[in-house]
Amino acid sequence: MTAPAAPNDAALILAVQQRDDRPAYAELVRRHQSQVRTVLRRLTRGDQGLADDLAQETFVLAWRNIARFRFEARFSTWLYRIAFNAWQSETRKKREVLLDVEDDAPLMADASFDEMPDVASRVDLERALATLSDGERAAIAACYYADLSHEEAAQALGIPVGTVKTHVLRAKAKLRTRLGAKEKTR
Amino acid sequence: MNDAIDRLLAKDARDTIPDERFTRRVMQALPAPGVRTRPWLKPALILGSAALGSALAVALSPGGSQLLEGFRDLMQFRLLTAGALTGLGASAALLVSAIIFAVSSD
Repeated sequence: MTAPAAPNDAALILAVQQRDDRPAYAELVRRHQSQVRTVLRRLTRGDQGLADDLAQETFVLAWRNIARFRFEARFSTWLYRIAFNAWQSETRKKREVLLDVEDDAPLMADASFDEMPDVASRVDLERALATLSDGERAAIAACYYADLSHEEAAQALGIPVGTVKTHVLRAKAKLRTRLGAKEKTR
Repeated sequence: MNDAIDRLLAKDARDTIPDERFTRRVMQALPAPGVRTRPWLKPALILGSAALGSALAVALSPGGSQLLEGFRDLMQFRLLTAGALTGLGASAALLVSAIIFAVSSD
């Protein structure tokens, strides 16, 4: 006898939409909490308390609005959209969120450190990510940590696809330089 | 795209955060059962109040008799009388305003 297969996300979402099924929603939260919290930790520059508060807000908002989820996108993509909005609203309380490309920021391309980041620690990476601009961090969080395509990331962040691509390129160039420089000083 | 930074970011993204009662905290923060907003409720309340308010206004206002006359005309398919046109215009204006308010008040 084999154990019954776990219901997929769609079945759980339908159970929540049709019957307000809380155990089904708890299962959805359990499945997606790690990635949503990781994305928010990167967006909040490693502030774990704030990231978890925003993640909780994200899941509560998703519960309130799940009747509007139409299965047109992946559930995770929909969740990230809510998470990015929560982060932007929270950040706007303190300062302006700049997701546009800064014209004066040069597009760095230093390939000499290509092999350096392999030995960089997670703390180094976290610190390097924290130095990126809002837009660059958001693009990296969306494309790498949330695993969204450039198009999905653009939709989630409300910016053009071209801007997402530029942010990703610039962010990676900055990370390469910063992590490489860090490694050089060791 | 497949350079060291890509690999480093992908590796970092794969790390999982243990739940550590996070799911329980979320479930406790959800609205109590039965409290969840029904999406149709607010528009229904707004449209219902608009209809009730309009009916009262027609019944109680000095110009109401002309409007009532207009609605009677409409029921008899006499669409081009002054009363019928006033009734149609007022109803359409109220309906459109109520729909806009209901949709935008979420």
